[in-house]
Amino acid sequence: MLRSLATLLLLSTAALADTADGEALKAMSWDQIVDKARGGTVNWFMWGGSDTINAYVSGYVADRLRADYGITLNRVPITDAADIVNQVLSEKEAGVTDAGSVDLIWINGENFRSMKQADLAFCGYTDLLPNDALVNWDNPAIANDFGVPVDGCEVPWNTVQFAFAHDSAVVTDPPRDIASLLDWIKANPGRFTYPAPPDFTGSAFLRHVLIHAAGGPDSLLGPFDQATFDTTAAKTWAILNEIEPFLWREGATYPTTVTQLNELFANGEVDFSFNYDPAQFGLAVQAGTWPETTRSFGLTDGTIGNTNYTLIPFNSPNKAAAMVVQNLLLSGEAQLEKAKPEVWGAAPAIEVARTGPEVQDGLAAIKTHPSVVPAADLAKAALPELQADWLTAIEKGWAENVGN
Amino acid sequence: MRPSLRTLAGLALAGFLVLPLLPLVAWSVARGWRFPALMPDQVSAQAWTFALSSQAGVLASFATTTLIATATTLLALLVGLPAGRALGLYRFRGRGLVLLLLLAPALLPGIAVVFGLHGILLRLGLAGTMPGVILAHLIPVLPYMTLVMTAVFARFDPAFEQQARSLGATPLQTFRSVTLPAIMPGLMIACLFAFLVSWSQYLLTLAVGAGRVQTLPLLLFSFASAGRNDITAAIALLYILPGLLILAVTARRITGRGAALTERLHP
Repeated sequence: MLRSLATLLLLSTAALADTADGEALKAMSWDQIVDKARGGTVNWFMWGGSDTINAYVSGYVADRLRADYGITLNRVPITDAADIVNQVLSEKEAGVTDAGSVDLIWINGENFRSMKQADLAFCGYTDLLPNDALVNWDNPAIANDFGVPVDGCEVPWNTVQFAFAHDSAVVTDPPRDIASLLDWIKANPGRFTYPAPPDFTGSAFLRHVLIHAAGGPDSLLGPFDQATFDTTAAKTWAILNEIEPFLWREGATYPTTVTQLNELFANGEVDFSFNYDPAQFGLAVQAGTWPETTRSFGLTDGTIGNTNYTLIPFNSPNKAAAMVVQNLLLSGEAQLEKAKPEVWGAAPAIEVARTGPEVQDGLAAIKTHPSVVPAADLAKAALPELQADWLTAIEKGWAENVGN
Repeated sequence: MRPSLRTLAGLALAGFLVLPLLPLVAWSVARGWRFPALMPDQVSAQAWTFALSSQAGVLASFATTTLIATATTLLALLVGLPAGRALGLYRFRGRGLVLLLLLAPALLPGIAVVFGLHGILLRLGLAGTMPGVILAHLIPVLPYMTLVMTAVFARFDPAFEQQARSLGATPLQTFRSVTLPAIMPGLMIACLFAFLVSWSQYLLTLAVGAGRVQTLPLLLFSFASAGRNDITAAIALLYILPGLLILAVTARRITGRGAALTERLHP
């Protein structure tokens, strides 16, 4: 038994081709980094709830990594990136500085801010990736993650924009801005609800109401301002308390996750769902979870957009291989593959004009799933994401004033 | 009257155990099953195709979970068998305290110890490894193993062993021919418990395995929390397989009676 335990121990550590020293990597050329990366293993912690996204990562991405670089990609499915932030933090507290368990995280927003503030991210290397040239870092929506400057600490993967979904067989003419949505809710008691913050999606819905209450996003941009927050938040809570009796179960309870909202929508208990990644609507229809008649739309007063990223923790022992993974994810071919609706339908995070003709033609030829509102349509009315401090204040305020 | 009542009770019990599984079977092949439909729109193998594909990692995870549960059971047996014998056969000072300490992991909520444990294993370099997870699983498994073995040995009469020894058997022969057959049914139950307790660990595996040791409960939760009822159902059905299998294999042996077992508590 002891011998087999020892074998297990050896097996679990032998696979590490140690590239924990990030500073040494930064002094190397890309070819040298790729050499270091060969034969490595990357433990990529990512939300694992979509079989199609899982299949893209464990299939297309992993196959190419194995074939081109001999890198093994170990996709670790998780439910909440915040758990992984805590895991890296406890590793740091335990003094694990070069043998961390996480090599790559799919992340953005508050979790990125936490990692950056606690110095848990490997930074300042992104310009080493050849495909970094495809990224438009001059775009503030890419260079800032929920208002926090990226500073070379993470690499963009997808851009998304908030959208609403409805069943066109049930609601033929859905409301197209927040004001008429609020009227619709009052006219149709019990047919709408939103996930309680701090759910990622529920919190994003709240910000749309907050921006509506503020009369536009302008006063809310920039660093957190208590006075502005107090006046706007007061209006927001008034609106949300006013619609509460007209919500699902008369607002006595809220779904705690967007998954629950999706299930309510699937079963026809509510008439709307919404998501930061409209591609999810198409995937839900393809999976048979949602009706074929599902359609989606943005708002005429705009919906919030953001970018999600991949990040290498400071204590990853496989930084070189993780960088190769990030570079591959950024490539035009990989971005094209995941833009296909049957694969994922995610909008590219790279500047399409900078890719080769084949990728450009491929992207132009893609027909979005009928249930997914095209990204170009959404982009006509886009709102910027608020800084992470606002999010925290909104989520706390909601719990005290609405969700009590 | 009596047999028919017994049959009825048996059927009721079987129904009680089997009925909750039927929706799982239906869900695992359902495509588009929404309220208020009584039956799924379509029957599809997509959930099973995905669950059994190499990309899903379900089969790899099945192997990992089996390996961990088996190793945990065997290790627990190494500790639990002698401990159970000492506690069941002998009265000694501090026996109550030892029993209490053994019970402690079963009484304490797992979440209270899990984070401290992660820190300790992290410093030992065992976090995120299979040996680390096996060690962690021993915490909730050992009480079951030891307490069942204590109960078994409490009804065991060591006079049979002395008899065998006086007839010239070696300690090993005595164990194999006298002790083992006598304690076998109890041993089976203890191992079954140990295996299933390890098999069903979620929180400990998540914290200590740091996501890198992917057991089936982790995978199951990841799909359940993403609202994929079809895939969750398919994995859930795979998940209950070993329990049923072990039960079927051991059912006959655990009802057996050994000669060295007495009905009274041995002083």
